[in-house]
Amino acid sequence: MIRAYFNAETAIAPARAWMHSILGIIGPDLRGGDTETAPDSANSNWIAALCLVVAAALLLVAAGQGAGRRGDDVAQLLFWSGTLLVVVPASLRIAWPNVARGERLFLLVLLADALFLHKTMYSPTGFAHHDEYLHWIAAEDLTTARRLFLSNPLLPIASVYPALEIVTTAITNLTGLPIFATATLLLAVLKGTLITALFLFYERITGSPRIAAIACLTYMGCSTFVVFESIFSYESIAFVLCILIVAVEAASRDLVGRSRSSALILIALLVASLAVAHHLTAAFVAFYLGMLAALEASRQDVSLRVQARIAMGATAVLAIVIPLVWVLAHGNPFTGYVGPVVETGFKALLAKLTGTSTPQSEHVSPPSQPILLRLTTLLAILLTSVGLATGFFRSLAMTAPANLRSGWRPIQAILKRRWRDSRVVLLTLLACGFPISVAFRLTVNGWQIGNRMGTFVFIGVGLVFAVGIVHFWQGRAARGWRRIVPPAAISVIVMGGVTAGSIEPIRGPYKVSSDAQSIERMGIETSLWTKEWLGPGNRFTSDRVNRLLLAGYGRQDVRNKINPAIYAARVFRRDKLGSDDFYALARSDLDFLMVDLRLTTAPPVLGFYFEPWEPQQGTQLTADELLKFNDVKGVSRTFDNGYLIIYDLRGLHGEP
Amino acid sequence: MASPSKRDLLGACLWAGATVAAVAASDSMLLRVILGVPMALLISGHVVLRAIGVRTASLTEHLVCSIGASFAVTIAGGFVLDAMGLLVPLGWAFWYLAATTAAMLLAPGDGNASIPRAWPGPLRMQRWQGAAVALAMLVTTGAYALAIHDQAVERQFNYTEFWMLPPAKGDPGQLVIGVRSAEAQAREYDLEVTLEGKPIAIIRSLTIAPGDTWVRKVPVPILAVQQKAEARLYRPADDKLYRRVSALVPGS
Repeated sequence: MIRAYFNAETAIAPARAWMHSILGIIGPDLRGGDTETAPDSANSNWIAALCLVVAAALLLVAAGQGAGRRGDDVAQLLFWSGTLLVVVPASLRIAWPNVARGERLFLLVLLADALFLHKTMYSPTGFAHHDEYLHWIAAEDLTTARRLFLSNPLLPIASVYPALEIVTTAITNLTGLPIFATATLLLAVLKGTLITALFLFYERITGSPRIAAIACLTYMGCSTFVVFESIFSYESIAFVLCILIVAVEAASRDLVGRSRSSALILIALLVASLAVAHHLTAAFVAFYLGMLAALEASRQDVSLRVQARIAMGATAVLAIVIPLVWVLAHGNPFTGYVGPVVETGFKALLAKLTGTSTPQSEHVSPPSQPILLRLTTLLAILLTSVGLATGFFRSLAMTAPANLRSGWRPIQAILKRRWRDSRVVLLTLLACGFPISVAFRLTVNGWQIGNRMGTFVFIGVGLVFAVGIVHFWQGRAARGWRRIVPPAAISVIVMGGVTAGSIEPIRGPYKVSSDAQSIERMGIETSLWTKEWLGPGNRFTSDRVNRLLLAGYGRQDVRNKINPAIYAARVFRRDKLGSDDFYALARSDLDFLMVDLRLTTAPPVLGFYFEPWEPQQGTQLTADELLKFNDVKGVSRTFDNGYLIIYDLRGLHGEP
Repeated sequence: MASPSKRDLLGACLWAGATVAAVAASDSMLLRVILGVPMALLISGHVVLRAIGVRTASLTEHLVCSIGASFAVTIAGGFVLDAMGLLVPLGWAFWYLAATTAAMLLAPGDGNASIPRAWPGPLRMQRWQGAAVALAMLVTTGAYALAIHDQAVERQFNYTEFWMLPPAKGDPGQLVIGVRSAEAQAREYDLEVTLEGKPIAIIRSLTIAPGDTWVRKVPVPILAVQQKAEARLYRPADDKLYRRVSALVPGS
């Protein structure tokens, strides 16, 4: 009996020790808190040196982009060494213990704007990304027509959310600057404002500039930070408004009386601006403030003032009602736009998880990156996951009542709805969305959901990760490896944001249907030719990339449909024009059609030439399919440069 | 004279007035940028914060909130000016003048909501550090200039544009034919124009240098029925049909 007991005990002991270790790692123990003794004044030596390093790094990035344009092999070396120099030294210094608050904030703004310039070097004199064209067209339309809510056939929902175009054209009108210059200036201001507001928000809810700085750095590891949130698109301004709203709300938590009312008015102004800026971001803010009010209402804390609860409730009501009224006033375009994307994304994810048959589009191989870039992204995801595992319970413990700090008592208190700040609880729970967003990114159809989710989920990820770093990995005394390894890990995470942000961050030779890599001088000059010789405003159709160029540079009225029921892709995809397609074209109001023979040289990089939902995804176009219009009666061949051909369809409608 | 607590608001009104004057009378983009950008992105938000009495804890927080409020003022201005049909440069300039004036009138004069003066932290810079920061700015500007230069000289394709436009309504009986070279070097072409398959114009040894454009109007007879015109560009060097375009000539 004794022997048996002894055996069982020896068998259980290692398991118990192992379990203790695991619980010790993930457990809520806050090791000494954030007790660093940061100096009051910033270290000017570091600031000056890092400014120089970042500038030299940007020079390398520019040289790398130039080498990429020329097709030189040295492009990768120049670009990535420059990128490392932008990210690593600044990240290490920001995450280093015992750095002055002002220095951290200055370096964060420096890094954020350096990353913005890093993105801008890709195309320094014109827009490069698909969505940028959609908003450039809208801004040009607003400047020309001087009216809001003009239709935008390439992104119909954007006409209901004109905030970005309003702000851009206001500056253009005041200054006389072109739209691109105004957009670049505006985006640089937005980037600096975003990171400063995010820092102030984290600092307000944690009381620690160090946690705030590390959380901001972690946020930069989000796949949308470097490129997606830096492009001329409505999300870019909306996300800044979103962070401003949550920051002002957090800053007003201790205010009373008139000051609180003033803060509420400011929040209302920002919410109203957001409601006309971007649908998803407005929905997130409504969700965030609604959940915050619900958590505050359920919190077991008699100390909470009634006035504060009323203010939080009022804030939530504003955040929900204003965007809702705006959406309903415009016939609810939101559901029709977002619904199909969410539905296909969820179906793809479920199919992947359950191993059932996946949609046809899932079989199109997504564009791939070099192995080193993919490994960096994977390492960044792994490190983020480790940070989340060690920060989750600690983040919750940080907001537990101050007298309940030992063992798992803080978590028990949280489960009994006893916490000091609902924002910390909500953001910690929000961080749980990280694995879901990663899972979505593994599917072709769900990628977009995962990417957009990341923007919001990383607000929570930043907080939880930073708490894990400060309260577990560095702990009471950040010496030896504890001093170096966590900042190095954070640098990898920021690098992960760069590698995950773009498939091909270096400018290279023309590629077929690859959005930014398909935009080059010949396509631009052909579009400019249409404006000069055909005049603006002709109804054109073409492939996805040339539509953008025709609308942007050519100022043409581009369509992706022949009529409300038929996508233009259909008429391009057959060797001979069938009678149905002929009559559809003849009855349409299209004036011109442009074909790009370069599309026949390779399969589309993104998997499609015209629309993401085109039925023959991944099938390479043939010259016969594109040149069939030569033999169609009533169609004439107006322009030819050997690659791009413009057909005049007006003869089909009885016009010359 | 404005009370000390409203001096910043008076300054904002004067700035807005100067912006109106610059937009109305000046063609200087630099002057308009110096006046217009801070007006649209900062000052208009600052006056709104002062008007509604928002108190911020630091100058950093005040700047960030001012930028956010500026967006709100500008977006609201967009809707107001759209309703009034005034989405024009002067409309915008007057909008900001109206916003700053209204804020000055509405702002409480007790000075409770004045701007916090605390910077994020003291920063003392030595001369070499200042020089290093200035050099960094110079290098960054150089990097951007290099990127612009590389983009400007980039040419992935060499090609020749060839086009033919049908007779315009104001100029019936004239086809417009054009050739523009984006080749690496000057090239020689022969050009042939036909109407319903019959030659109506032949141009030999047409030499076009890179960047040059050649345009010619070719008269065509107008008949009762629609006719098809075709133009062909040949490269005599290799005796090859290089480009072809066509146009429909409408009937009378």
